[in-house]
Formats: sequence, structure tokens, C-alpha cells
Amino acid sequence: MNDMHLALHGVALKKHANAAAVAAAAGLELERADALLKEAAAGARLAEAQGAYVLTPAGRMILDNQYSRYYGALRADAAFVAAYARFERVNLELKQIVTDWQMLDLGGQKVRNDHSNADYDAAVLDRLGDLHERFAPILTQLIEGLPRLAIHRRKLEHALEEAEAGRIEWISDAKRESYHTVWFEMHEDLLRVLGRTREE
Amino acid sequence: MSFELGPHTLAIDGSGLPDRQLVGGKAWSIARMRALGLSVPPAFVVTARACTHFLDTGAVPAGLAEELARGVGWLEEASGCRFGGEERPLLVSVRSGAAISMPGMMDTVLNLGITETTEAALGRVTGDPRFARDTHRRFLELYGRIVLKGVLPELGEDASPADWRKAIEGATGQGVPADPGAQLAAAVTAVFESWNSRRARRYRQHHGIPDSLGTAVTVQAMVFGNLDERSGTGVLFSRNPLTGERAPYGEYLARAQGEDVVSGRYTPQPLSALAAQLPAVHEELLAAAATLERENGDVQDIEFTVQAGKLYLLQTRAAKRAPAAALRFAVDMVAEGGIDEATALSRVTAEQVRTLLRPRLADGAAEGARCLARGEAACQGVGVGIVVTNTDEAERRALAGEAVVLARATTSPDDVHGMIVCRAVVTEQGGATSHAAVVSRALGVACVVGCGEGTLAALEGRVVTVDGASGCLYDGALPVVAPDENAEPALALLTRWAEARAPLAVVAEAAEAFDLGNVDGGEDVARLPELLAGKTTVRGGAIASDEGVKAAVAAGVRTIVATPRLPVLLAALEATRP
Repeated sequence: MNDMHLALHGVALKKHANAAAVAAAAGLELERADALLKEAAAGARLAEAQGAYVLTPAGRMILDNQYSRYYGALRADAAFVAAYARFERVNLELKQIVTDWQMLDLGGQKVRNDHSNADYDAAVLDRLGDLHERFAPILTQLIEGLPRLAIHRRKLEHALEEAEAGRIEWISDAKRESYHTVWFEMHEDLLRVLGRTREE
Repeated sequence: MSFELGPHTLAIDGSGLPDRQLVGGKAWSIARMRALGLSVPPAFVVTARACTHFLDTGAVPAGLAEELARGVGWLEEASGCRFGGEERPLLVSVRSGAAISMPGMMDTVLNLGITETTEAALGRVTGDPRFARDTHRRFLELYGRIVLKGVLPELGEDASPADWRKAIEGATGQGVPADPGAQLAAAVTAVFESWNSRRARRYRQHHGIPDSLGTAVTVQAMVFGNLDERSGTGVLFSRNPLTGERAPYGEYLARAQGEDVVSGRYTPQPLSALAAQLPAVHEELLAAAATLERENGDVQDIEFTVQAGKLYLLQTRAAKRAPAAALRFAVDMVAEGGIDEATALSRVTAEQVRTLLRPRLADGAAEGARCLARGEAACQGVGVGIVVTNTDEAERRALAGEAVVLARATTSPDDVHGMIVCRAVVTEQGGATSHAAVVSRALGVACVVGCGEGTLAALEGRVVTVDGASGCLYDGALPVVAPDENAEPALALLTRWAEARAPLAVVAEAAEAFDLGNVDGGEDVARLPELLAGKTTVRGGAIASDEGVKAAVAAGVRTIVATPRLPVLLAALEATRP
């Protein structure tokens, strides 16, 4: 696995992102990422607009090939695949928790949660903290198989700590690296690594 | 005083109110309902004293096992069922309960006491062996997740309890005790241990709560809403939580357990079904709701179960409510003399008023309109625009000033940049927890999901109106109206109350004002203390957020220029509360 692959993978996870965001997602130094992205853009693997990058169709094809080449061993690693299966179980729970965070059930009718009920919010946040703890050993197994996944753990911890400190936008805000944003990115990462597609 | 079963346990018989510090909020609430003469399943509580002993010594107090047995004996006597019994088995719920609720404490374990023997007995009593088997599975699932803290593989409905136990042991490295008494003891210890969980410790540290308080454990008899034809379960709101109308509102599912309602596998009926079937129970329920609303000074949301024609209240709390209901509850309860104006103002948030003032379809606009596609309503709101199916194109056109509706088979993080700038999001696949639904709600963009495969591509280039409340995509641009805060009597009344108490004035127009919108850093709440120093009348910039209003109050601003006015007044009032 080389840095160019990591840079392209970073762009795939963080579409329309600048070098800094790609560097953070891929675990690369900013200067290194910047140079790689410029090189890939010159080679028509990426398209650049105002400092933000997207994969070209050719870039996407190259990247998909790299996934199966670089992660062949991991895809055959029973422990990693088993940990991934457990991740999928937790994923269903996470989606329900985030939905309950956003929506109230009022006697069968769903309405947007306007966060005026502190007890309700505290209970949902508590469920998220509980899920985070139960998920920790699974994430550790995944990281043992692919150490760069540790970046997701750091981001999840950060989002949870912010949310527990009362900054509740860190739970599901789509414009920041909220718990849901990072979780979803991690899911995308795993799907690419394992060559699978997401089921709605 | 509830009576003592031993030095560390109390039976809650409603003869008086126990010390809340000692028994925790949940047991106290049960005792209070019993003291009000309401019907609640029998319960006993292991007090926080036992927990502090455990925290100090690492072991439960000597004799706690006997006390638990006496507690179970009292539940058996009160319920007429036997723990581990072969005829009418007693199952219990076990929940943590500190005087102050906090995160990280053990969640509720239900159906404790079920074994191969009691499962068979429960199957006979209910005439529903499948239910008994399912109860067994749900207990093992909760026990594995909550007491053993594991992520379990799916416990297949066709497997046997022995298989389930094996799967749990495989996933957690620990077994589930076969004996009900041992299950109970382990659950009680798990509650004590949860007092020192990472999250609970951090919460106490953050809020200055002493680590020495400890938590109580409430053990309550389970009641069964699926026992017979005269049984069921439901939720009652003492007033309508959607509209605020002063009329009880709820749902009821005959021959079912609470989990059945939550699971969504069954569709509950309106409360009138209970009124038709068991009129005396219905009447008792409404009377209980009225009592609890009056005693607690707020609209209540009550979970209940009917077992063999007898009503049991399981839980009551201040009702969750939609914005329209929050407004009407507040105004009505003042008129009825139930609460004062200051309390009413504390029960309506700035965000709720903003939601009430959001643009919506004009009355009657949808009548006769053609519905081009229909899906699950995922985020309320109305979005009018031209349908675009390519996300990059949608972003480009939206940024160029066009009103765009983004239509996709599904969405992923690749689509977020387009979702941020469009008027509505619609998808062909996925439900209420899908990426499109979650992200649209986070963005506040109207959203309809799961319209069906192949339903949206053909709409490319058409102007549609997406109604995120009904789940419908209407043909063409339907008329949309923005409500006026001055035209709505309840809002106008609340505005008058707020004006009389707010720490600053809010006006729609002013000849002169310091405009944060024209100042460098005026959008940044953190800069406000410095930017607002010495200013008396301000507008724009970060004042649009509740945090910004709070900073303005702190900076001594006298007048804010903004419309609508009420959300700013409410945010200013909120800033004055501790």
C-alpha cells in the first residue's frame, strides 16, 4: 500500500475536500498529501476545482483495482471479516439511535426533535455512549487488521466527548465530523476495503 | 414510610414517601404514584446504602441475598405469582436509580426470572408458547447486552434457548445464570458497578456530584399485556402532544407487551379501542392521567399495561411534545390556573417558535394537486424546485441561484455537498434511518425517502413541491405561506408575557443600530463580548443564534432589532435562567 493510494482513498471518502481534509482522512502529512493530490490531478486521476478534489472516472477505476489488490489478504482474514459482521449489527443500532435523536415518537406520530426535552435527549445520548463502549472491542479488532482505521476511533471519541459536554450538534450535524458523519465515513471505508456495497 | 425488608431493602407499598436520596428517582416515583392511590405493579428497592457498601468494600453487604429473597417474597405475595414457579411465574424488571439521573448507569433488564421451566409455564398461562419463547429470547438479549456488556450475534428466532445461551457465552466470555435468584443477584451487582462506569464518573465530576452517593436498584413485578383478551398495553398523553388540544391522546394494542409497540411489528389502535373494549379501565386511566397532570403541573406521557382487566401504570413523565402543542399547553394551562406566566414561558423554546413560523403549504394548496411520487416522510418542511438527479449538477445549479430538488436512488457522503444547498431531498430506496433521512434532518431540509425503485429518474427537469410532512411530491410549484407571529393569538400572547420579563427589548425596526453583519467577526459568537462592549442597540450577525442573544444579554445590550421577535425574546429569557 502506498501513499498515492491513501491520497486517492482519502478523496473517495471526503469528496469535494481540500488537501487538509484529505490529509486528515488518509493519515498523511499535509505537504505530502498536497503534492500527491497535485500529481494525481496532473495525471487525470483527480479533478480539482478551487482547491477541492474529486475522483475522475479513470481515477475511480484505478482506485477500485487498488482496493482488491491491497486488501486481498484482509478480505480473507477471518477475524477481520467477523469483526466487520459485528460492526454491521452495531450499525443498525447506531442508525436507530441517531434517528431517535432527531425524531420524537408522539403516540405513533413522528415529529422532529427540537431538543426542548432535556430528559429525552439525555436518555438518547446515554444510549450512544453505551453503544460506543460496547463497540470499542470490535473497533480494536478492526484496527488490529488495518491500523490506519485508528483515525476513526479518535474522531468518534472526539465527537462523543463534545456531545457529552453539551455541544449536541456533534451527534448528527452533517457539516462537521459529528458522530454520525464519522461513523458513516468509517462504514464507507470498510465497504471499500472489503469490496462490498451498502445495503439501505 | 414504605416498610423495611432488611437494612438495605424497602418494599414500596404506598404507605408513605421514602427518602429520595436513598431509593432513587424511579422508586420514589413509583412510591408517589402508589401514595396517590394509583395502580402500579408491586416493587421493592435495594437502597443506595447497599451500593455504598459495595463501593467501599468491593462486596455486597452480608445478608443482601436473604433481603433480596424477602423482597421477591413480597412481590410474590402482592402479585400471586412465584419467582421461578411452574404455574404462574413471576418475572421482574431490574433498573438502576440514583437520586439524580446520570448517563452510564445500567439500563433496564426486563423479564428477569425466565428459565426453561418458567418459559413453559408462561406459555401455558398465556396460551401463547411463541410469546413465552420470545420473552426468553428478549431477556437473554438484554442480559447479554446490559449486564454482560456484549455485542451479541443475532439470536435467531428458530434457535433454542440453549443455543442462545451458547452464543452469548461465545460473544461475551460469560454465561447467563440458569437460576433466577442468581440472575437477580448478578443484575443488582451490575447496577452497583455501573455507578463507576467511565461516563457516570465523568458526569459526576463535571456536575460536582459526590462519588459516594451510590445508586439504588428497583425491582418490580412484570405485568403481562398479552395474558388474555382483557389485556393489552399502550401509551397515554394527558393532552394531544401534536396539536396541544385538551383531550387525552394515545394508542393501545390489545394482547401485547410494551416491546411489541416499540418494535413496530404491530400497529396499535387509537385509545378509543380501549374505551370500547374495557370502558371501566379507560375511565380509570383518564382519571389517573388527570391526577398526574395536576400533581406534576405539566402534561404527562404515561405508559400503561392492562392485565386481565386490571390497569397498571408503568411510568409517567412530562410529555414530549410538538412545537404547536408546546405553545398551546403553555397558554391553556395559564388560562386554567394550572401554571403561572413565567413557567409557561419556560416551556416554549425559541427553536419551537421558529419551527412554527417556518413556511408551509397554503391551506388547501394540496387539494387537487397531482401527486407524482410518494414515499416515507423523513423530514418535515416544504421544498419547491426543479428535480435534478446528478448531485454535482444539483450543487452547481443551486449555487447559481436555482431552486433545486435533489432526487437520488440513495444518498451517501458523496452527496452531502448537494444536499446542503438544495430545497428538498428525495430518494427511491431506504427508510427512516437511511443516510438521506438522517442527513436531511440534520440539515433541516425537507426529505421524502423510499419512493420506490425507478420512480424518480423520469421526473428530471420537472418543477415539484416536496411535502416532507405527508411524503408526497406534488406536480408544479404549490403556494407556500410563511405564518405571521403577530397574527397568531397564542404567539402574540406569549410575546406580551415575554416582553414584560425579558432583560432587553426586541423591536422589528430601529432608526439606528450597530449592525454585526457589517463587522469583521460579527458572525462569531466568541467575538461578541468584545464587539458588543458599550453598544445599546444591535442587529444582525451572530445575534441570529440563541448563543448570540445570550452573549448580547451578558454584554448589557438594551435593544435587539430582529424579526420574528418572539424567538429572540425567549432566548433572552432563557439566558437569565440558572
